[in-house]
Amino acid sequence: MAYTEEELKKELETKEYEYGFYTDIESDTLPVGLNEDIVIAISKKKEEPEWMTLWRLEAFKYWKEMEEPEWANVNYKKPDFQAISYYSAPNSKPKYESLDEVDPELLETFKKLGISVDEQKKLAGVAVDIVMDSVSVATTFKKTLAEKGIIFCSISEAIKEHPELVKKYIGSVVPKRDNFYAALNSAVFSDGSFCYIPKGVKCPMELSTYFRINQAGTGQFERTLVIADEGSYVSYLEGCTAPSRDENQLHAAVVELIALDDAEIKYSTVQNWFPGDKEGKGGVFNFVTKRGICEKNAKISWTQVETGSAVTWKYPSCILKGDNSIGEFYSIAVTNNYQQADTGTKMVHLGKNTRSTIISKGISAGKSQNSYRGLVQVNSRAENARNFSQCDSLLMGNECGAHTFPYIEAKNKTAQIEHEATTSKIGEDQIFYCNQRGIDTEKAIALIVNGFSKEVLNKLPMEFAVEAQKLLEISLEGSVG
Amino acid sequence: MDLKDKLISSFMAFESNVDIENSVHDVRTEAMKNFELKGFPTKKEEAWKYTSLKGLQKIDFSIFPKEENALEYKDVKKYFLHEIDSYKIVFIDGIYSSYLSETTHDGVDICLMSSALTKPMYKPVIDVYFNKVASKDESLTSLNTAFSREGAYIYIPKNKMPKKPVEIIHFATGNEASLLLQPRNLIVVEENAELQVIERHQSLTSNEVLTNSVTEIFAADSAIVDYYKIQNDSESASFIDNTYIDQKNKSVVKVHTFSFGGKLTRNNLNFYQNGEYIDSTMKGVTIIGNKQHVDHHTLVHHIEPNCESHQDYKGIYGENSTGVFNGKIIVDKIAQKTNAFQQNNNVLVSDKATINSKPQLEIFADDVKCSHGCTIGQLDEDALFYMQSRGIPKKEARALLMYAFANNVLASVRIPELKTRINKIIAKKLGVNLGFDL
Amino acid sequence: MLKIKNLHASVEGKEILKGINLEVKAGEVHAIMGPNGSGKSTLSAVIAGKEEFEVTEGSVELEGEDLEEVSPEERAHKGVFLSFQYPIEIPGVSVTNFIKTAINESRKARGLEDMPANEMLKLIREKSEMLDIDRKFMSRSLNEGFSGGEKKRNEIFQMAMLEPKLAILDETDSGLDIDALRIVSNGVNKLKSKDNAVIVITHYQRLLEYIVPDFVHVLHNGKIVKSGGKELAVELEEKGYDWLKNEAVV
Repeated sequence: MAYTEEELKKELETKEYEYGFYTDIESDTLPVGLNEDIVIAISKKKEEPEWMTLWRLEAFKYWKEMEEPEWANVNYKKPDFQAISYYSAPNSKPKYESLDEVDPELLETFKKLGISVDEQKKLAGVAVDIVMDSVSVATTFKKTLAEKGIIFCSISEAIKEHPELVKKYIGSVVPKRDNFYAALNSAVFSDGSFCYIPKGVKCPMELSTYFRINQAGTGQFERTLVIADEGSYVSYLEGCTAPSRDENQLHAAVVELIALDDAEIKYSTVQNWFPGDKEGKGGVFNFVTKRGICEKNAKISWTQVETGSAVTWKYPSCILKGDNSIGEFYSIAVTNNYQQADTGTKMVHLGKNTRSTIISKGISAGKSQNSYRGLVQVNSRAENARNFSQCDSLLMGNECGAHTFPYIEAKNKTAQIEHEATTSKIGEDQIFYCNQRGIDTEKAIALIVNGFSKEVLNKLPMEFAVEAQKLLEISLEGSVG
Repeated sequence: MDLKDKLISSFMAFESNVDIENSVHDVRTEAMKNFELKGFPTKKEEAWKYTSLKGLQKIDFSIFPKEENALEYKDVKKYFLHEIDSYKIVFIDGIYSSYLSETTHDGVDICLMSSALTKPMYKPVIDVYFNKVASKDESLTSLNTAFSREGAYIYIPKNKMPKKPVEIIHFATGNEASLLLQPRNLIVVEENAELQVIERHQSLTSNEVLTNSVTEIFAADSAIVDYYKIQNDSESASFIDNTYIDQKNKSVVKVHTFSFGGKLTRNNLNFYQNGEYIDSTMKGVTIIGNKQHVDHHTLVHHIEPNCESHQDYKGIYGENSTGVFNGKIIVDKIAQKTNAFQQNNNVLVSDKATINSKPQLEIFADDVKCSHGCTIGQLDEDALFYMQSRGIPKKEARALLMYAFANNVLASVRIPELKTRINKIIAKKLGVNLGFDL
Repeated sequence: MLKIKNLHASVEGKEILKGINLEVKAGEVHAIMGPNGSGKSTLSAVIAGKEEFEVTEGSVELEGEDLEEVSPEERAHKGVFLSFQYPIEIPGVSVTNFIKTAINESRKARGLEDMPANEMLKLIREKSEMLDIDRKFMSRSLNEGFSGGEKKRNEIFQMAMLEPKLAILDETDSGLDIDALRIVSNGVNKLKSKDNAVIVITHYQRLLEYIVPDFVHVLHNGKIVKSGGKELAVELEEKGYDWLKNEAVV
């Protein structure tokens, strides 16, 4: 007879992490532990200028005084920060001019992940800056971009080649002492991406970076800085997948977006790091600080599909500083087994006529806990601010939890804020209706979940939307996909 | 000496002053320990993020009111719902006023907490219910428990319904420069019984008053309780209300909170659904201005399956006022088929007014329908213009729109005279004569 | 095509169908009428395989095969179509996406490749025109915010797309105005052939003026108490159901 929810549950439990394999590449790793010497060593290894070293040391000083936050709706064993190695770089040096020179094993890894660089290049016209562990080893399409004056490189390179831009903007949106993990990242960030779009330039392709975590016991501290100069446009894609591991891996990234007057940044993420096994063992700790600032008439749009990680703590935010600026947040967060996600956004309305939209879809299965936490703040000078928020939760099974913690603060009488939230399950009548039309239960669930998430999936660039749909199915439907 | 220290040192004196009934003595001592440990809540605590008690703690409150102060009925008549007959439990500066009160023991007990805590005949009820649903963790509730002595005691036996509603009124006369009151109410409504209560706190002077009140309500199977809180106090009076409600199968409890007055008002309203097919309703209208601050904290804990809860809070904030709404709905794993709805709509009518709203859902069961909605906005300009074009002056048009905005909440008030009274207060608050009898 | 023998079915221990016998041959149109609560909708749900209903006795056979162990989707693949009395909303899933999935799943079950996109689009255009359905309608979320008439028309549209062998129309006329009723009935009539069969479940005779039945059965208290030709429907309209109820007791 038909596929029952029980059977589905069983299947979900036995579904192994598909991308759980391990690439054996020799790594250049620093000793474990964290102190000033290590911070200096990281900076030295990366051949950074002195101002950067001092910047890191200052951040480290702040970090030492800070405490790990407790407010999020997640439970986990706190990482031992002295047991982590803060730097690892793939050994094959120097950097390559073309992909042919890249370690064949690394290329094999990409193939297994289905993100073969050349295929991506051909099919999607995407420039891919791949971060293998911490140092970027391949940057493509650089030339095309260079012609338009677009800078797209690793942050280490940018520190050396474009210090004036980095110096001006790094830490300007996420200050060093913003929070515990941001401070840690500021002190020890290994690498990441840097992107600058000059005035009036529309970036002709989607910029994308694939992050991976590889070395055992290596924390990953990415630092991303995207600057869209006046009147420019860029769409940036970030996708993640990590090998399967027993011990927890810490990831504390910082992403800063700067959208100057009339600029627009679209930042899309598909996050599929190892979520731990079905007993909740292992998995990535994902403590991310993502924030963007909008100047006059600027727009920042965050879209995220979060299916991985054991523990996620992530609130891509917009500071709507300029008049008429727009912030958007579209999110799908799927949790299964023992995963815990506490994610949402902050929309801070400072300028006049600022608008923000929040669409959050949470899907909880297994024994997971899925929380939306968001802040909409309208300051006293933000005349005519508008916000619309919609937070929907879908529960599958009776051992998971869905939580909504919206904070709404209005200090201006012209503000118009609407917040709606709903919680529901997949109805048996919906399944039967699909069955009657010849669609089996598993497919029906996939269809319903996709329908539930549609408003967000629609916001993703085409090539990402397909991958995201696939991820939703993998994360929930077991045998589908 | 700060207020906390003063309270701690007063506790000993208090304990030796009251008739010690040993079980209650232990409860008070435990509660005092908790308050000593936790002290007054600060803005660092999530639940007090938007409300500061710092200013109040600087005031040198008298903790023990002196003797009964006399008031003439004609002077305070307007604060009663005098249009209808009611039972009355009246306190003046925290002391029971037998002159203004009308209590009863005719089939039901509508009397005093001080009697209930000391007389052996009430012991069976006190043993079962006193301090059973009130939080033992929350510091202000503990503070009240530690000093619990006086308040209203209402016991409605099975299948009974008092002939008329009960009014609980606290007056502050200003005989003290600043007064701290800690009334403690216990209300037990047994199976299939029914009760209507109107509670009001009224300061008659501009002297500072702080009331830290705790009310425990127990609604047994199929019991019906309507509780109306009228908060229209003077702007030198602050009020912290802690209401805890324990509901059993098929009981229906509705709490209406009308917040118009007061300096700082904090309403902690907690529902615990310990049964099936329960209906819990909380509604609120808040209309404030000046530097007033009203903070509504609601909690509905859905513990068993097949229950409902409805929340509807409307707020209109003018001048420098601040409103807070924090509504939490928890649905336990076994509480399947829960329907929980929450609405919070706010209008800011001044540039300096602030509203902070935090509706929360914590859902652990999958077969549930839960939703919350929150809006912050202004009056509909088109509607305003439409009304003006029909000759209605802007001021009246605004009032009418605001009235319409708050109207939903009034629709469920089951005492017509009370509804009329609230309407009149709203009209007065809005500063207009609507020209028709609402 | 469909053979129902002494069918007893219950829900939560309560017996609703108490021995139904019915045979429907290819090319025939059967109407099942009866007062509220007589078991009409239960019968259609049992034929479609809804698991809530437990078959305690008897059998349902489609083209000689006992359907007892056949899942709802497999029944659909074998050509059973149920037009729901209350079609279900599926937010975010468009009419097009839904019907595409349904068709391709049925094709897959028959060992066929997915229908090519252009062919699918052509078919959708053709069938939606037949039912006077606006193209914009196709991209709306399935049944979400549809009017009663739109829901029913959408059901018949899906029927036209899936070309079932046996179509069961459960109260398809309820909530339809006269124009919509005509469009829907025309659609059903166009789909009728000597190879397929239709069971029309209805409370009123109104629909049967448009979809003319070969046989009319009256269901009462879980049993077919009277069968006849189309004239029976007219008689019922005139006399109501009471005279049959009495007859059933005798």
